[in-house]
This record gives sequence, structure tokens and C-alpha cells, in this order.
Amino acid sequence: MDLGPFEADNTVSCRLSSQIPDICRTEDCCLGIDEAGRGPVLGPMVYGICFCPVSKKQELKDLKVADSKTLTEEERERLFHNLDEAKSYVGWALHVLSPNTISTSMLQRTKYNLNALSHDTAIGLIQYALDSGVQLKEIYVDTVGPAEKYEEKLSQRFPGIEVTVRPKADSLFPVVSAASICAKVARDRVVKGWKFAEDLGDVDADYGSGYPNDPKTKAWLLKYLDPVFGYPQFVRFSWSTAQTLLDSKAVTVHWDDDEEDGEKAAKRLNNKSMLSFFSASAGSDDQSRQTHRFFTDRRLRGLSSL
Amino acid sequence: MSCHSSVTHLHVSPVGQAERVPVHLLPCEIEHNGPAQVSQYFTATMKDHKGVKAVSFRGRGLKGQEICCPAGYTGLVLKDTNKPGSDQEDRIVRVSSVFDKLTYWNLDNPPTSDDTVVMAMDWPELAEAIHEPIDE
Repeated sequence: MDLGPFEADNTVSCRLSSQIPDICRTEDCCLGIDEAGRGPVLGPMVYGICFCPVSKKQELKDLKVADSKTLTEEERERLFHNLDEAKSYVGWALHVLSPNTISTSMLQRTKYNLNALSHDTAIGLIQYALDSGVQLKEIYVDTVGPAEKYEEKLSQRFPGIEVTVRPKADSLFPVVSAASICAKVARDRVVKGWKFAEDLGDVDADYGSGYPNDPKTKAWLLKYLDPVFGYPQFVRFSWSTAQTLLDSKAVTVHWDDDEEDGEKAAKRLNNKSMLSFFSASAGSDDQSRQTHRFFTDRRLRGLSSL
Repeated sequence: MSCHSSVTHLHVSPVGQAERVPVHLLPCEIEHNGPAQVSQYFTATMKDHKGVKAVSFRGRGLKGQEICCPAGYTGLVLKDTNKPGSDQEDRIVRVSSVFDKLTYWNLDNPPTSDDTVVMAMDWPELAEAIHEPIDE
């Protein structure tokens, strides 16, 4: 697994993939989808697909792939190695969603929630397999959300393919277990070797599992909190754990789409800031004359004090 | 305010020697007045794709571009040399640094010529035209 393309720029998302086995272009195939790193406040979320001919299902099962969560890191690495050995009939692809992509998507003006982001990523990976010529007939998906709706959505999007969405699919279908191993191995490696885009010198890499309830993760989040910038892009700002810490320990930042009650906002805007000079509504100057639209459009105002 | 009895003195004499600094105009209000680790967190993570810059601040995606101060104008960063204790005391403001271009940032949206700060730069030229003495 070459993580180079992602590590070259870990602020954006990236697709990594194996060679497509020739047999997958000629025989009917099954495909499994799973994700790794949905819960953590640190690092990327990785979506994985794994596929093989329907006729090779037993062989895949014999590789003893299992739900990645029940395995140790060493076992996962070993099983990933086994999958790689089986590359004549097993293919995989990953979509690494960088923490910065997760933060900026979820915190867009028009919010893009994690479920929608997950579904779109899964759809993108299935489409990638189809575009690469994989003869897909069966798709198995692990889900944390409501399975029926998701199954319906995928079935409509990919007519002619039998879609099965199940909670815990990673322990029921070997091809989903295989996908979960690929995703988890990639996530672990990315987190372990994270290169901070920020210029922070040597960053303490003892950040634990990245789950909000891990004491090491908590301690790391306290240590690396900057009062103005908050966190490096390694942290998912859209997680309530990060938001809560920033609300209590960092300086307050106001955005024009904040949900803030009118009175509070008005009071705040009377304290002149740099931005208030560009703001149409700010200030309480008595305006005896109507300001021309030329100025209001440009948010220009006469300045009588500093 | 104009009704106060104090006077604000603006010392512009050091403009010639003042350091030229990069300036960023963010689409938010930060309740902080003072130093910040701009180069470590912000400049280090800035991207430039065909003149459109991208960065994120507090997990929100920003797109920006550089604009120049209008011809003949210089941007000033001002600092109070002493914080007046009361409204009655005079205030002395000094030029701490200068800039002739700045980078302004929009939340989510790429910069366009309709952005207010871009349009605001029209004013000096227009002001000059309408205030120019009329030749007989």
C-alpha cells in the first residue's frame, strides 16, 4: 500500500488503489464496503472497497479475513499482506478523507453532514470500480445508520446490482471484512506517520487512539490548543469534543452565519473592530443624510474616530 | 468619538522606515488583539491554485486572493503607543507597519470582482475625480 499520494498533501482527500485483477474484468464480482476512523476526533476517515469474483468467495474466506475491529494491529497488517498476495483475484481501493476535508465539509455554510459525506464517498468508490471495468453483480455494505434507506439509495443508484446493507456486515461477509482491513490498515498508517502541515516543530505523537474518550487523546488536545488558530488540521474541528474545548479555552471567533441572537450581535458590533469598517450595518452614527448606494454596496463609511 | 475632549495624535512620520508586512483580511471577527502564530498555522498551510488561495481557519474553508492598495495609497497598521487610562487623556497612535497589498478571504466562496473589499478600492479614483478643482 503506497500512501505517498496522500502524504504528499494530507490537507485534501485522496484515492489509493491496487491493480485491477484481470479476472475481475471478465467474471461476475462481489464487492464489500467499510470505513475506518468514523468516531475519532483526530486524523482521517478511510473508506475502503474490496472486490473479487463471486466464484472466489470461498478462497477469500480461507484467507481468514475477519472484522478488523476484532483483530490486533499486527493481525491486520498480516491479513492485508495476505490480501496483497491474492492480488491475482482480489482488488481494493481506498478513499482517504482528510480531517481537514471532514472539518471544512461539515462546517460549510450549507452543512454537509457526515452521513451524506460517507454515502457520497462509498458511491464514488463503487463508481470507480465500475469505471475500471469490474463486473459488479453484488455489493455488501456495512452501515452505522439506518440500513434500509441506504440500501434503497444504492440500489437505485446502481441498477442491476444486488445491494445488501447490514449493520455489522464486516463480521458477516468476508469481502466486507477484507475492505475493513484495508481501510483500517491505511488509517493506522496515516495516523502513525502524520506529517503536520503546520510549522510546529516536533509534535508529540503520543495522541492515543484519537477517540474522544481516550485520556491520551484528551491530554494531547489540551496540549496542542492554540488560543487563536485552535488546532492543527489533524484535528476534526467539527467534532463536539474539539468545539467544546475551543469554546472554553480559545478566543471567540464570530462568523456572519453564526446563530447568535440579534441583541447580542448588535451589542458586539458596537465595539469597533477592523471588520466593522467594511460592515454595512455596524456603528450607531446618526446619519442625517441617506448614504449613496455606491458606499453601502462597498461597505464604505466615513471615519470620524479610530 | 468626536464628542470626547481627548485628542488622538496620529504619528505617521515612520511610514518610510516601517516594515512591510503581509496582511490577511478574514471573513470573521476574532476576539483577540495581539500577536498570533500566523506563520506557523496559517501561512504554512496556505495553498495557491492558479491565483486562488485556499486555507482553513478553525475548521472552516476559506478562499482568497491578493489585492493591491489603490495607486498612490499605502496601507497602515496602527498601534496605540500608550493605552489611555480614561476618555479625557490624549491618545497617541503610531504606524507599526505598512502594506501595499493584502490577502482577503471569503468563507467557502472563491473570490470575485463583486466582493465588497475589491469594489471598495474603486473609491479613491472616483473621489479624486469628483473633488478635483474644475478648470475654467
